[in-house]
Amino acid sequence: MREEMRSDESKKKKLSRGDVVKSFLIWLFFSHSCYNYERLQGVGFAHAMVPILTKLYDTKEDISAGLKRHLTFFNTEPNVGAVVHGLTIAMEEEKANGAPISDEAINATKTGLMGPFAGIGDTITQGTITPILLAFGISLGQTGNVLGPILYAILISVVIIGIAYGMWMTGYSQGRKGVESLVSGNLISTMVTFAGILGSAVMGALTAQFVSVSTPVVITVGVTSLKLQTDILDKILPGILPLSLTLLVWWLLSRKHSAMAVMGYIVLAGIILGLIGFL
Amino acid sequence: MHVSFLQAVLIALVYYLGNGPWLAGVGYYTLYRPLVAGFLVGLILGNPVQGTMVGAAINLMYLGFISAGGSLPADPCLAGTVGAAIAIASNLDPKVAVALAAPIGLLGTLIWFIRMTVNATFAHVADRYAEEGNTRGIMLANVVYPQILLFIISVIPVFLASYYGAASVQTVLNFLGGKVLHILIVIGGMLPALGIAINMRAITKRETIMYYFMGFFLVMYLKLDVVSIAIFGAIIAYAVVISSRKERTT
Repeated sequence: MREEMRSDESKKKKLSRGDVVKSFLIWLFFSHSCYNYERLQGVGFAHAMVPILTKLYDTKEDISAGLKRHLTFFNTEPNVGAVVHGLTIAMEEEKANGAPISDEAINATKTGLMGPFAGIGDTITQGTITPILLAFGISLGQTGNVLGPILYAILISVVIIGIAYGMWMTGYSQGRKGVESLVSGNLISTMVTFAGILGSAVMGALTAQFVSVSTPVVITVGVTSLKLQTDILDKILPGILPLSLTLLVWWLLSRKHSAMAVMGYIVLAGIILGLIGFL
Repeated sequence: MHVSFLQAVLIALVYYLGNGPWLAGVGYYTLYRPLVAGFLVGLILGNPVQGTMVGAAINLMYLGFISAGGSLPADPCLAGTVGAAIAIASNLDPKVAVALAAPIGLLGTLIWFIRMTVNATFAHVADRYAEEGNTRGIMLANVVYPQILLFIISVIPVFLASYYGAASVQTVLNFLGGKVLHILIVIGGMLPALGIAINMRAITKRETIMYYFMGFFLVMYLKLDVVSIAIFGAIIAYAVVISSRKERTT
């Protein structure tokens, strides 16, 4: 009896921490190495699963099936979305130990979670953290301080790798229930609200500090001459031109004008208004 | 100033590393950004301070840069590397550099398009290896083949643009004269609005637009800097989150 249990134990496939970390490192480095229009991060995902599959399965057939399972279309924000990979590894581990998990179940979990985590992740990493740290680096860098780019590069690297590793391990240890409650629960919506408020405030600050539009127009009425910028516009509302321009661009983008088209409008406006001497 | 052969090669390598996977996946967050790329190009050309100033200015356009779902609105890394090379070689005003870097950034989407299209072929190569259960093949298809492609399509254009382009821009600008420079400065001052607005499209909603105004006027009237706005913004965001959680439970 005891002997039997022991042999059962030894048959049980268990991933070591090293396997999970190895898989994480492959993803961290090569998630977008073969980024393409057809599968997006699909090939990167399959590559990251290599140490997991080779550890869990013994036959070429099983490994081949596993690789094919993960070569499908996949796309998420690679750092916050790393929770999906952690969870997938946990599911693969259960499957290899005989749990009734079908290929479809793994695929459905992946595709079901990649969307929400892409949205949340892009808001947090690309949408909020990166611009805030960049703004910090740029304000130093604009005056020629080389610490601007150096500090920015160090800070952003630590934060991004930290988020990715934390999410990866969370997904692996929490399992399906834990990750699904992460999506349905308040935590994610709380994070998005938080990032939305913080990010919006920072965007306002960036508009004030970095968008520069001013007019050299001088209005002469009789003997008095008024400078349009300093004597009129600044008195009404300081920064009214950069603020209006940014809100106008925002409105145009929300009206489905492409970023490239809006860039064209700006260039055109710059040429015309610059030539007639309004700007 | 003349950009030497070796310098042009190194600038091209900065661009490749910004796009490639070798920097623990954070190349996209570091060298890909003109602030960092400009500093490195400056270092290569012997003027890291000017490189940092130009890179910072160019980066303003891409403050709100977001690439999602495989789309790329522009290529900040190309604008940063080639833009900084041109600006340093021709000793341009940073705002002029911004206006020149904008079209360069748009050209970069071509490199992206080639990469995203051709890489799909390697996905099919990976399918074949998967059929055989060949895990080394998956590595080849994910890393080796696409990186050889990326190396070729990024190093060649950036090398050519830095080696031949930098000096000719100065000649053209001198020929065109002051009015053109003025217009470039005007455009360069407005373009950051685009980067900021793109970011707002992603994170600012009807309910949070007032925080945008708050950030704007705190800087305008109280002359606060961006980092202090980030700190106050985080405190307010925290307060809002806490109070809405209380509402939900009561």
